[in-house]
Amino acid sequence: MLNGKVIRTRPSFGVLIVLPLLLSLIAPIANASVNQEEPTGMAPEDVWSDDYINMIFPWASANEAKLQFKEYHTYDTMKSRMLRLAEDNPDIFEFHEGMNGGTNARGEEVTANAYEGWYYGHASPWMKITADVQDGDYNPFVGDNGNYPERHDVMIVGNHHAREWMSYTVPMMQLEVIAFSYDNIGYDNDGDGEIDEDPWGDANGDGALDDDGDCLGLNASFQDSNGDGTPCGPGDLGVDEDYSEQWITDLVNSREIYLIPMLNTDGNIYDRTVYMPGQCPDEEAWDCSAAGWRKNLRDNTVTGVTPVPDLDESVDEGCDGVDLNRNYQFEWGAPLGATGPLFPGACYAGQNNDVYNGPVDTVDQDNDGRLNEDHVDGKDDDADGLTDEDWLGGNSEPETKFIQDLTEMNDDTGDGSSEFKATITHHSYSELILYPWGHCTDCESPDHEQLKYHGQQMADMTQYANLQSSDLYPTSGDFCDWHYGVHGSYCYTSEIGTAFHQQQEDIDHIAVRNLGTGFYIAEIADNPRELADLAIANISQQNYLKELDESDIPSEGDIPIDICVSNEFPYSESNSMIKWRMVKPSRLQSDFGPREWATTSWESVDLMAVDDGCSVSNGNGTILRGMIPVSETATGKLHYKASVSTLSGSDLYQYPADGDYLVLDLTYRAAYGSLFGSMFMFALTAGFVWGGLAVCLRMMLSDDEVIDLTAPEEGA
Amino acid sequence: MSDDGDSDQFNGRMGLIFASIGAAIGTGNIWRFPRMVGANGGGTFLVPWLFFLFIWSIPLVIAEYAMGKRSRTGTIGTFRIFAGKKFAWMGLWTAWISTAIGFYYAVVSGWTIKYFQLGISGALNGEGVDTTEVWNAFLQNPGQVIFFQFLVIVLTLAAIWKGAKAIEKVNFYLMISLFALLFLTLFLSLWMDFSDGTLDGALFMFTVDFDMLFEPEVWINGLSQSAWSCSAGMGMCITYAVYMSKDEDTVLNAFTMGLANNSISIIAGLAVLSAIFAVNPDPLATVTGGSSAITFLALPEVFAQAPFAPIGPLFMMAGFFLALSFAAMTSMISTVELCVRNFVDHGYERGKSVALTGVALFMFGLPSAVMWVKLDGNGVAFPEFLEVQDHIWGYGLMFSGLFIAFSIWKYGYLRWKSGVEAGVAPPGFKGYLGFGVSAFRDDFINTGDNDMEVGRWWDLLMYLAFPILFAVLMISYFSDMIANTDDVWNPANPRGLGIILMFWGVVAALFIFFNKYLIRRPLYRNIPKGADVDISTLPGGDDELVVALGDTAPGFEHLSKDYVALDAELV
Repeated sequence: MLNGKVIRTRPSFGVLIVLPLLLSLIAPIANASVNQEEPTGMAPEDVWSDDYINMIFPWASANEAKLQFKEYHTYDTMKSRMLRLAEDNPDIFEFHEGMNGGTNARGEEVTANAYEGWYYGHASPWMKITADVQDGDYNPFVGDNGNYPERHDVMIVGNHHAREWMSYTVPMMQLEVIAFSYDNIGYDNDGDGEIDEDPWGDANGDGALDDDGDCLGLNASFQDSNGDGTPCGPGDLGVDEDYSEQWITDLVNSREIYLIPMLNTDGNIYDRTVYMPGQCPDEEAWDCSAAGWRKNLRDNTVTGVTPVPDLDESVDEGCDGVDLNRNYQFEWGAPLGATGPLFPGACYAGQNNDVYNGPVDTVDQDNDGRLNEDHVDGKDDDADGLTDEDWLGGNSEPETKFIQDLTEMNDDTGDGSSEFKATITHHSYSELILYPWGHCTDCESPDHEQLKYHGQQMADMTQYANLQSSDLYPTSGDFCDWHYGVHGSYCYTSEIGTAFHQQQEDIDHIAVRNLGTGFYIAEIADNPRELADLAIANISQQNYLKELDESDIPSEGDIPIDICVSNEFPYSESNSMIKWRMVKPSRLQSDFGPREWATTSWESVDLMAVDDGCSVSNGNGTILRGMIPVSETATGKLHYKASVSTLSGSDLYQYPADGDYLVLDLTYRAAYGSLFGSMFMFALTAGFVWGGLAVCLRMMLSDDEVIDLTAPEEGA
Repeated sequence: MSDDGDSDQFNGRMGLIFASIGAAIGTGNIWRFPRMVGANGGGTFLVPWLFFLFIWSIPLVIAEYAMGKRSRTGTIGTFRIFAGKKFAWMGLWTAWISTAIGFYYAVVSGWTIKYFQLGISGALNGEGVDTTEVWNAFLQNPGQVIFFQFLVIVLTLAAIWKGAKAIEKVNFYLMISLFALLFLTLFLSLWMDFSDGTLDGALFMFTVDFDMLFEPEVWINGLSQSAWSCSAGMGMCITYAVYMSKDEDTVLNAFTMGLANNSISIIAGLAVLSAIFAVNPDPLATVTGGSSAITFLALPEVFAQAPFAPIGPLFMMAGFFLALSFAAMTSMISTVELCVRNFVDHGYERGKSVALTGVALFMFGLPSAVMWVKLDGNGVAFPEFLEVQDHIWGYGLMFSGLFIAFSIWKYGYLRWKSGVEAGVAPPGFKGYLGFGVSAFRDDFINTGDNDMEVGRWWDLLMYLAFPILFAVLMISYFSDMIANTDDVWNPANPRGLGIILMFWGVVAALFIFFNKYLIRRPLYRNIPKGADVDISTLPGGDDELVVALGDTAPGFEHLSKDYVALDAELV
């Protein structure tokens, strides 16, 4: 007490000087608050951790600007970060650059250097992501391990276009999130003490992305932290901020993710180090009014007849380069939204040069004497019984060859078709989600409704517009038309953000806003068409896991866990299961969450249809039952969840959703003992102990005078 | 003084019995036993627990009584006489372990009194009482903890100040009250448990699970519970045997004490388990989970739901914790007396010895009371320093038992050797088995005073079963610790083995070094009139400094009752 007073009466000299200064700073605030109404709602610091409020991500220290998404990665820092992550997470990450090559799907001999950029000579760095990535099958062409026939493949590609810097930043953040979240179950992302309370999208169906209402509970002045004008929109603090690490772990365990953050390394390096500094020598790229370099660095002028020979081989900005997203083969060369060469070997040096789609093919692929008579469109144009066998052009660039061969040579099941059922390519900008087709207007793909459905899911979580690609503008030869048109893959183009070179301070919240799409694509990669069909018909939404309470626990035997599936739902018993684990919190640990139990592994039991029916909200359902083998003497908490698959191979219907589970308090069910056994034991014990004691006391008292201890002591 | 001359004696057999039972019955019977029953398969646990009562505890207590009755001195003197001059330090070890446990036991006893106070004031059974908060608030308040520790020490000193007769009386009243209170609690518990028509708790406590009966862990737990709860090997019975009248039966006393101890355990176990099973949806998790702090967290919650509210819960809460504090107090008394006896044996005045012991108990108990009070992962406060102390000294107790066995082995060997020389004993190993092994039993147990003759089984237990069980206990404890503790050898790790071995090593080395000073002092035996307490055949029997109380040791004529120096080296 005394000490405190002494200190208070003698403030240090520094404090004396600073005090008036501080007061003057507070003064305007004090004045302002007098004029305003009493603010309602919380301040961010009342709810979240300081790190979260300042968007300091947990995977790196605060001063690592690039890892904190406060600065853009360069090609070099991105690659070294990928190497580091692969080194630190060898069980789930395998780093690659390009591929080994060999004989590709169309019989061409390809070497590894075919995938290296024309100019700087880098092959695209990429990450193979799956659990136990060092095991599984080895693919000699691709050069990757961790190929499992039962795991669904996902391709995520960034930076087709060199200047679209957010498009490689978002997949890099996804990589960080996977590395940090895998097996890190129950991490509290925002430091509010709750876990997994706000996954991507509107998980609770209340129409707001902010499922846990922490952003909505803030004072209105804090609700639009990213300043985009939408309070509690995606990218704002508190919106979709605490996704389930269990769910991400499940994805990594059941998917093979091929993540290629920067496809166009040549173009990106050129844009950053040559083109933009050339346009605005004294400004950062994001402050410069120039749009930036888009294409790769194909040297168009050296190969053919041009007015002026390209003597020094350096980049001829007016002519060189191919728009990679016009260079895929499906319906290549159509005049929609792309520029073909005026004549073979020449570039079109006019206004639309930025969408130059590459040279016309000069090879007679089928050796029938006719050139380019059956271009890639899924049809047998020349009616010779072969489809798309002698193409017009496209696939001429190292980067597009890489994507095309990776897609076609990654055939885990050996059935000759691509394994990629869902793919996404990130671009910027325009705040859009685009789905095929791109090459035709007023046309719809056979999967139009389904593509639109999944697109809308991603548009909902980013609050971007969901469009058919050609409704924005027609394009031919783009990534998604090829993936969907040739391989049937559900392919999406996300147009991130509002600028090619987004301001640096906007990197983090825009990346956060777009983080969910890459995971959504991974989730639907099992069977996107069926998932959409069942959801559009409002069938899959009907299924539910029955929540048990104490009265449902049988007095003996296994505990039945029921999941009610709609009768229209094509469930498959063989791959469906109940996952469960028993945990034993002590009396005082009842509030412990998933993090504490993450080390207890899940076990699974099969599901079997039982005769009883059940009702779902739009009709009748079937009960699938799993019997949990817990003994009658087990006590604690039973965690359980269901994973249901369909006959057509959708495998990730989880109940409850988002990696969550239900909890059942399990009390001791066995008899505490047998009546006769215990009576016998009691008689035995009592006979021994109490009987023995009685005998002893009797012997003692019989030969000893009893002394009255209560009598007052004499002479004391 | 009575007509026993200078010696200090119990009034009668029941006095000794009550004092011994008081020493044996501690908090271990009331809060550890039910927990062990819960964790080791209910009635299953009773099998090894009863088995080891007869295999370990009672034989050791017989030995203690026999030694104390003959040596008529506390632990130091007893070992000086029974194991020889060079081994007086073993008695010092025994005394130290008991006293070191007493340092923190006084703190724990203080908790029980505090909880009695809380119970009787109704602070534990109101609406919305969070027992964890009550516990944390108490433990984190050093003033409170120290106050109740101080109270325990003052009460203990008051009880033993006047010697045997007072101890006898206090123990008698406390034990009778303890029985009554426990029976009251048991009645209410059974009432609660029977309210649903079944006696789950009793059923559980007496049902043997034959699968679990073959688990080694159950047997090891049964052994350790039996070893601790009876205080066998602690030196308590050596100390109280000093006050035995001359012709008392050591064997009958040992059986009475052991059986009474286990009787109380059964009653306490039944009371606690019935209450928990009556109200708790997951009773097993409650009884098995966590540390002894559970007593202060779970039981008040259970008792608050006793019938006949508001009187029932109040009775139950106050009654239980009062019984607990009585059990703790009587053990505390024996701990202090053990220490005091050793001072008195060496010529110190009783009053001064008591005061000195009291001050030491308080001072050395202070760190356990207030140091390192931390919150565990569940937000429950726990006194880490106290737990470290328990960790270090708890198993040191086992060595005291080993030293007793050592004395017996040594005596048997020496007797056989001198017998062979005198031509009364047959030579060879067979001769040793026939003459040496039974020598202690023949000379000190079957003295003719006893109603019960002890047979060869006792030799077998002392020579064969005891070393095996001792090894099993130590090896299982150490290997368990080595397997389950990180950094187990680092002496700085308070939960490791390194710290235990370090403290044991330092203390043992110190005591062995002090041994030579110790035996230069005279030792005064508390011999009742007319008792035949010849020690000439014992290893320490030729020590001329060992004299009867009231006699003068050669060279120490200056040491009379008026002239007592406090020697620092003994403190």
